[in-house]
Amino acid sequence: MSLTISCPICGKRDGYEFRFGGEERGPRPDEEGLTHEQWCSYVHMRINKAGIQREWWYHQEGCGSWFTIERDTLTNLEVEGREET
Amino acid sequence: MTDRLRNLPTMKVHPQTELTLIYAGKRLKGLASDTIATALYANGVRIFSRSLKYHRPRGLYSLDGECSNCLMDVDGIPNVRAETSLLQDNMKVEPQNVVGTPERDFMSFIDKLDRFLPAGFYYHYFHRPYRLWPFFQNRLRKAAGLGRLKPSFRMKGIFDEIYPRAEVCVIGAGPAGMQAALAAATQGLRVILLEARPWPGGFFDYRSTNDVSDIPLHQRARQLADKIEENRNIRFFPGTFMTGFYSNNLITAFQVGKETDYFDERYMEIRVESVIVATGCMERPAIFDHNDRPGIMQVACAHRLARTYGLLPGKRAIFSIGDDLGLEAAMDLFDLGLPILCVADTRSDGQAPGLVEGLEERGIPFMRGWTVSTAHGSRTLKKVTLCTLDGLENRDFKCDLLVASAGLTPSAGPLFLAQARMSYDRFTGFFLPDEMPQKVHAAGRLLGLQDPLSIEASGRLAGLSAAADCGALVKVLIKEARELLEQLPGPVRGSKFIQAPGSGRKRFVCFDEDVTVKNIYQACDLGFDHVELVKRFSTAGLGPGQGGIPGHNLPLIVAQYRRYDGDSSDPILPTTIRPPLVPAYLATYAGKSRNHPKRTPLHETMKKTPGAVFRRTGSWQRVRYFTHDFQCREEIETVRNHVGMIDVSTLGKFRVFGPDALHALQRVYVGDMSKVKEGKVKYSAMCNEDGCLMDDGVVVKTGENDYYLTSSTNRADSTAEWIRYHTRYEVWNFSLVNLTDAFGAINLAGSRSRELLQTLTDEDLSNNTFPYAGYKEFRIGGDIPVRAMRLGFLGELSYELHIPASYTRTIWDMLLEEGRPFHIQPFGLEAQNVLRLEKGHVIIGQESEIRNTLHDLGLGFLWNREKSLYKTVGAPALHFTERQNGRMKLVGFRMEDPRRPPKDGSIIVDTRIRGHVCTARYSFTLGQSIGLAHVHSDLADIGTRLEILEDDMGSKRLYAEVVPTPFYDPDGKRLKI
Amino acid sequence: MLCRFTENTKKAKNKLMWQRPPLKGSYDAVIIGGGLHGLATAYFLARNQGMNHVAVIEKRYIGFGGSGRNTAIVRANQRTKENLPLYAEGLELWPKLTDELDFNLMFFNCGNLNLAHSEAALGSMRLLVASAQFHGIKSELVDAKQCKEIVPILDISDLPTYPIMGGMYHPPGGTVRHDAVVWGLARGAARLGVHIHQGTEVTGINVQNGKVTSVETDKGKIHTPRVLNAAGGYSTLVSAMIGIRLPVHVLTIQAMVTEPLKPILHHVVSSGAYHCYANQTLKGEIATGAHMDPWPNYTTQVSARYIKHQAEALTDLMPCLKGVKFMRSWAGLADMTPDMAPIIDGNNPIQGYFMDCGWGYFGFKSGAVTGKYLAEFMASDQCPDILAPFTLRRYENHKLMGEIANPVNYGPWN
Ligand SMILES: Cc1cc2nc3c(=O)[nH]c(=O)nc-3n(C[C@H](O)[C@H](O)[C@H](O)COP(=O)(O)OP(=O)(O)OC[C@H]3O[C@@H](n4cnc5c(N)ncnc54)[C@H](O)[C@@H]3O)c2cc1C
Ligand SMILES: [Zn+2]
Repeated sequence: MSLTISCPICGKRDGYEFRFGGEERGPRPDEEGLTHEQWCSYVHMRINKAGIQREWWYHQEGCGSWFTIERDTLTNLEVEGREET
Repeated sequence: MTDRLRNLPTMKVHPQTELTLIYAGKRLKGLASDTIATALYANGVRIFSRSLKYHRPRGLYSLDGECSNCLMDVDGIPNVRAETSLLQDNMKVEPQNVVGTPERDFMSFIDKLDRFLPAGFYYHYFHRPYRLWPFFQNRLRKAAGLGRLKPSFRMKGIFDEIYPRAEVCVIGAGPAGMQAALAAATQGLRVILLEARPWPGGFFDYRSTNDVSDIPLHQRARQLADKIEENRNIRFFPGTFMTGFYSNNLITAFQVGKETDYFDERYMEIRVESVIVATGCMERPAIFDHNDRPGIMQVACAHRLARTYGLLPGKRAIFSIGDDLGLEAAMDLFDLGLPILCVADTRSDGQAPGLVEGLEERGIPFMRGWTVSTAHGSRTLKKVTLCTLDGLENRDFKCDLLVASAGLTPSAGPLFLAQARMSYDRFTGFFLPDEMPQKVHAAGRLLGLQDPLSIEASGRLAGLSAAADCGALVKVLIKEARELLEQLPGPVRGSKFIQAPGSGRKRFVCFDEDVTVKNIYQACDLGFDHVELVKRFSTAGLGPGQGGIPGHNLPLIVAQYRRYDGDSSDPILPTTIRPPLVPAYLATYAGKSRNHPKRTPLHETMKKTPGAVFRRTGSWQRVRYFTHDFQCREEIETVRNHVGMIDVSTLGKFRVFGPDALHALQRVYVGDMSKVKEGKVKYSAMCNEDGCLMDDGVVVKTGENDYYLTSSTNRADSTAEWIRYHTRYEVWNFSLVNLTDAFGAINLAGSRSRELLQTLTDEDLSNNTFPYAGYKEFRIGGDIPVRAMRLGFLGELSYELHIPASYTRTIWDMLLEEGRPFHIQPFGLEAQNVLRLEKGHVIIGQESEIRNTLHDLGLGFLWNREKSLYKTVGAPALHFTERQNGRMKLVGFRMEDPRRPPKDGSIIVDTRIRGHVCTARYSFTLGQSIGLAHVHSDLADIGTRLEILEDDMGSKRLYAEVVPTPFYDPDGKRLKI
Repeated sequence: MLCRFTENTKKAKNKLMWQRPPLKGSYDAVIIGGGLHGLATAYFLARNQGMNHVAVIEKRYIGFGGSGRNTAIVRANQRTKENLPLYAEGLELWPKLTDELDFNLMFFNCGNLNLAHSEAALGSMRLLVASAQFHGIKSELVDAKQCKEIVPILDISDLPTYPIMGGMYHPPGGTVRHDAVVWGLARGAARLGVHIHQGTEVTGINVQNGKVTSVETDKGKIHTPRVLNAAGGYSTLVSAMIGIRLPVHVLTIQAMVTEPLKPILHHVVSSGAYHCYANQTLKGEIATGAHMDPWPNYTTQVSARYIKHQAEALTDLMPCLKGVKFMRSWAGLADMTPDMAPIIDGNNPIQGYFMDCGWGYFGFKSGAVTGKYLAEFMASDQCPDILAPFTLRRYENHKLMGEIANPVNYGPWN
């Protein structure tokens, strides 16, 4: 496992330059009317998809930006060239 | 030393350069370019080691280091592969796993006990009665293991590492690999070519046949090698063993340095666009009774001994083979002078007619449909029995050499590692790729090709395909190359032969672990039906050679068993191959030293300060003490009574600015950051979404929409990430700059710090113009700009000075100089720890844990609940937990015995564990022992008596009382003077 | 030749470790996952609870998951009072289980030495040591010199990146042969009537009126009122079948072994600062484990980075090991929870659905004992006290367990 990741600013780099930032699930819910369960679900629960998922990465040893890519969790390879959906 | 053959064009050893080696105390001679094993063989050594379990004699078998037969101790290094390690002058070589001498081993009686040592015997014995198990365990441990490493051993040599980049990497510099490299390089691509042997040429290198080409194959190899050398796009790495193949085409390898290289070994990590695997084939070991006797070797081993090293491998030879290469080798060796009694071939037909005629011409008896069934001789080979495949007819031959092989097996390790989908191909009998991963290609023999022209052509095709991966416009060339390949002979039908007739107890599938066919059956009999389980239970393939010897035979034997067991549907599955493909020294993997801690701008000054004791804290090197009194009394008293200073350059420092800067701060800080006023510092905290304290620091406003903030040392590297993460969905317009390394920082603390600082600046520092929690930018020491904050972490009047990194030393020195009349002293992390403890302040990670919220730590007052609009990180959790029962709370405590603080990490107990001490110290300032602890909320009330248990305290306890914090100067008067 | 095979197989039938029974249409309990947790639960259901009509469903072969890939370190010096009793009993179980299963699990009681490289680390260790001692578990703090006496090949000079300042020595710990545990339990369970179905994959769980009714597999449907998710690194996927999300990150953790040596390292040595632990197996290999690749995935791929890192760490701590070679590396999945404690729960929110997962890279040591209590839970529908703290609900109650003090570092969220 030595994946490469495409940073929109720096281009394709070794995966270890980056830090994984979680599944893409949209912004955090509003506070109003929030229940414990909803909050816990947002904070801790994961989809843990087996397949292609959109996810966040941070270019730690690089430009310092957050961006999303698609990666197949069954192969650990970035799926390039797919439009954001 | 035996005489070597002369004038062979294929010979690689240099008869003029003799080298000495000391083997088992005896001085022997070898030649330059010998491997240790060939040098020993030249000196008549036939038994190289004793086997792991049965202490059976073992000898030279493959010359490629695929098994532990030739592992030796060389200059104190255990398990050196004598077959692939070049001989160096004055090497000290010792045989391994020998009790006595290799010829007479006192443990060899175990060989007779095999009936009592079935597969996995240790699972069934030794545990009854259980108290005897430790005894047997010790015996097992001592018997296991091959080489012996001395605790005092220190590896000599230079271990380098390189990370080359190229477009194409070709693994294996045989004919296919060289053609591939040339094809890609000609397209203008940078190519890295790896070859394990010290020279290119692969299996052309030692072959003299010129059946298909007009020149002998070894000459053809030379031609190609010359082209490789001339091509400036190709970087050729000989003596380089590929170890790993990781996704996105990352190849790892290590190179063994030659005499002339500056390194002994070097680790390589190669990232390329496209990879070509052209690693050729190995031989599939022939399985028959006593197939491990010294004097039995594989075809290429015998052939290369003669052709490459000038050594005739024996005096009376029998061949038992399964493919044409065996016939070719027999003829060639015969011509070189090896007496051959007969050649048995498991195939009843399909041999190349020329080869059969060749044997006839030389008068070598040729026996089709025959194979070896038993080797005889108690130490080395004396006689073999050949038999027909049905086992009905037998013949014995006296001999000292048996060249045996069941056929070929591809060196497909790199393909397995590359995650190619491999399956058993019934025609070739190989595990072949069904589907290749993207941008990985295979070429040459490992696809089942035998014809030299086909091999070269497949290399060229692979090279062009790799070029196409890299964007070269080679469509037409690829088409031509493919058409050419299709016209040439395709893959050859492989030998289906698995094992000789008979059912002896000593037919070895795996030499390293002494696993026999019988052991495999035993595992199968027990119900281990998956080949992976059979492997684990029998341990076949788990030794130093990994799958090298059993890799191909094991799945075949398991499938054979299952067929007889009535289950023929199962596919023949390979066992998993895992990196490193070739074992590599930890020294090589470790490479260069990596001990490069970060240093503050004051590091050199600190190093020169007498008494400074450094500690590695995270990535930094920092001073913990300035004395050898680890209680730091003097340091602490200096701050409390006079003035001290500490290097706090490691604090994270950030500028956040832009129209939406405030939004960003409101998002991550729990406080209301709109309250940050110019000229003032605001102390606040960051929580995670569980409401757990992550960081604290100060924020100052340096201008319109312009903020300067600090983070704790540990968070310096992640604060930018944090702020950007939690604002990633917003289209806020703000910028963030990490200034951590741009500024050094000094905390000047003590009642006389103002007086001292004033001597360095004209700026008015009086309490009115620069009060507690104030912020000021001014110049000191002439013209050096500083950012100064009045903070109260340590409980005294104090100034945190942020100074451009390059001037930090100047200011430190000035303060030290001007501070002499004020009794200034530097202080370290431990003194700081006590000083802040006296104030009851929290250090993140020391008093906070993931299960503590801001409230649990008594810091709830920092949270502003009115800003839900900003979706402050952690706010919902703070709401939920604010009044929750049964949580852990941080409390201050005072010991009943003032002189006896508990040690950090002591626990608080009653009948159960109720909490623990985070930090506790004797306070010289207060004359008391005080501390901070996490306790269950029902023990958190002021006045509660705590029972404290240190380690090794037995039934004794220490007692303390929960008291309010701060312990020192509770009203904070001293901060504000 | 042919006859020797048939003779062999005839003999074999009564020797078989486990049979290959046909898949039945219904069982009293279905256990998903043929790792040690699943097998132990099945074994104890049959042995202690009299529930023999149990199926263990394993998609590949038993021990395919973490149970066949771990480095088999066992110890009981946990950090919290919730975990300590379970792990302590777990440790004591190995000899008993060896006897009971009549299968040598090869418990190597060599003791564990955990190194401290800072004053703070020593403080953290004191917490573990005092807690262990309070629970009657042997554990002690030692200084650098004592570390060297225990493990002579350590370098206690200030040359290493993180010089050794002391450590925590835990004599009752050691290693257990992981494969033996899987096989021993499987044999034990099978002898008590449990059906082990290898090469069978669970593809769905059916629920009616809030109750589990059946399980779908690629070989057919199985009716059952009870199902246990003991799918290790795949427990997230099984959980998804029933619509429950878990606070789990599935990460790969790697391990490697060197070529075998005569005994030179007689203890388990570990170091948090180096992200590294090592011991010498009974076979003589130095087995060592590394950190995790910090992004979720379901591959079991190794990476170049960690084998290198591991060599750097080991040779820094034990310089003589520079002369040894790594011969094999592998990886397994670790289902990591944010508080480094497992999730054990049942009948909540779905009657008959039990889970035993989130064991990350530490679930070998107490796998067998957990199975024992879980069997009790499944048979009686009463959660034993010892398992109660591990409920999934702790996350929404904001009461993470304190097995780890500092936030885990595989995401930006903490
Ligand atoms: C490299 C490594 C080192 C480790 N070292 C240690 C250590 O030193 N000490 C320690 O205590 N722990 C260690 N662990 C952790 C330990 O191995 C695991 O926590 C433990 O094995 C979990 O066991 P299990 O039975 O729950 O899961 P597993 O052993 O993973 O078993 C789960 C099984 O479920 C099967 N399965 C999954 N989905 C399905 C399905 N849909 N249908 C049917 N079957 C399915 C899988 O094939 C698998 O066999 C380590 C783990 C790894 C990877
Ligand atoms: Zn970037």
